[in-house]
Amino acid sequence: MMNGLISDEIYNAYLQALLAGERAQCVELVNRLLERRIPLYDLYVNLFQRAMYQVGELWEFNRISVAVEHLATAITEGLLTLVYPLIFAAEHIGKKAVISCVASEYHQLGGKMAADFFELNGWDSYFLGANTPAEELLKLLQDKKPDLLGLSLSIYFNMDSLHRVLEQVRGSFPELPVLVGGQAFRWGGRDIAEKYPVVTYLPTLIDLESFIQKG
Amino acid sequence: MERLDIQQDLIGYLFQDAAIVLLILNQAGLIIDANNYTRRLTGDDLIGKTLADVVLDFTGTINLSGLLQKKDTLQLLNIRSRSGLPQTFYFRFLERGEHILAFGEINSLEIEALRKNLLSVNNELSNLSRELQKTNAELKKLNELKNQFLGMAAHDLRNPIGVILSYSDFLLEEAGDVLKEEHVQFLAIIRKSSEFMLSLLNDLLDVAKIESGRLDLDLESADLAALIRNNAMLNQSLADKKAIRIIFRDDAPLPNILMDRTKIEQVLNNLISNAVKFSPLGTAVEVKISIGAEHVTVSVSDEGQGIPEDERKKLFQPFSRTSVKSTGGEKSTGLGLAIVRKIVLGHGGKIGVDSEVGRGSTFYFTLPLKT
Repeated sequence: MMNGLISDEIYNAYLQALLAGERAQCVELVNRLLERRIPLYDLYVNLFQRAMYQVGELWEFNRISVAVEHLATAITEGLLTLVYPLIFAAEHIGKKAVISCVASEYHQLGGKMAADFFELNGWDSYFLGANTPAEELLKLLQDKKPDLLGLSLSIYFNMDSLHRVLEQVRGSFPELPVLVGGQAFRWGGRDIAEKYPVVTYLPTLIDLESFIQKG
Repeated sequence: MERLDIQQDLIGYLFQDAAIVLLILNQAGLIIDANNYTRRLTGDDLIGKTLADVVLDFTGTINLSGLLQKKDTLQLLNIRSRSGLPQTFYFRFLERGEHILAFGEINSLEIEALRKNLLSVNNELSNLSRELQKTNAELKKLNELKNQFLGMAAHDLRNPIGVILSYSDFLLEEAGDVLKEEHVQFLAIIRKSSEFMLSLLNDLLDVAKIESGRLDLDLESADLAALIRNNAMLNQSLADKKAIRIIFRDDAPLPNILMDRTKIEQVLNNLISNAVKFSPLGTAVEVKISIGAEHVTVSVSDEGQGIPEDERKKLFQPFSRTSVKSTGGEKSTGLGLAIVRKIVLGHGGKIGVDSEVGRGSTFYFTLPLKT
């Protein structure tokens, strides 16, 4: 299978380096793709996301330890910084999004990649990161007055925490559109929009891209 | 299954597969057996070694008899691992007949807490890095906007100022006789001020161009000594008003050098006119060239007031001012040296200043010896 510039050979070399914790090798591979002017969308979806989904699966099937999964995540977060000079150079269209993880959610990579997708599409995105207390999130919403809030959830056990935050957001900002997404929804909770009319569930980065482009 | 068989299986597991440190020592403190995990961890078969070969003893206080005295409590010891990173284990020591058994376990709760904290630190650092890069990109855009604005404003203001300058010039020349003396003075002030404004606008335009990365160098092979001679001559008329001599000795033969002739003239003019501006009456300004292996160095020395050390660093920054005053009331835009520095750096050269308060200053720049 070939996804743009990312051949199976490149993907497998990257995944092996990622699992082995070979940060320098991953950096080199990504830099080579950037030199070949890979579209950032491809890089995010077909390399970073695909590899991290596979790392997640290997962990769930007890093939790798949680330490390896964390190291792979940390390396990927580091790789995103290679792309930032390109992402933040995009022309801004005057729209703002706040992206965050809920309290107790320590997996922030998916949320951060979503925030970067907003930047790529000319939005200003403010990323609050892992384990963000609801009060801090509400304070930033008050401060930035965004056009949209995005909440990322990786661990299904944090679903209650997400619902609590949505209640609080609904109390203070009833009209604010909210996007939710993340790997947690593979295990359930996809009907979340039925309970909260302002909420849209987007399963993947590809769905997010279409959502942003539809405006 | 017999109890003995079960025990044998357990022992087999401990030696073959279990992820704990397991050592058997004799009474002399020598290791007589170690399980696979410990061998892999240390990269050594360990037989015949002592505990001191395995454990990092930072304080020099760890010895086997001391450990055995506290054998009922877990003891924290650091193992020398193959990777070079010490690994901490919680040890228990047991004496069985002639043998001493040492078991070392990892505290997984401690590791979990550590991993969680490391993860938080990493998250925070990567988020800060994202924030920083976003802010940098915004500042870069703002700086570009500022340069565009600066360039436009300076460009559009240059024409009207030019008109004021030429008409005041014209009036001074043509109508000087019919105007009252006071009005002639007013006109002279208008001309002087508009001259200064024009030089300021030209400098601002240069800064805007350079800052937005448009320092287009038109490189050609040129005679540096001839440029200096010409520039010294042009500045001599200004220097004459203060009885200052501009001395340039170009004894050594100098090959032609690759440069943007106009821009290097701008550098020379700035350094020589500055030297005149800040020199006392009746002194000398000396221009020298020296040739090194890879560079040629041009220096301009004056016998002025000198620049205090703490002010020298900011000399080449835009709009920097020093406590040093010009000796004839001449004005400065505060941009000249910043522009000069960019031009020299653009040529692959260096620029600097040596100065001694009360004795004078020497500004110098280098250019690569490329012909």
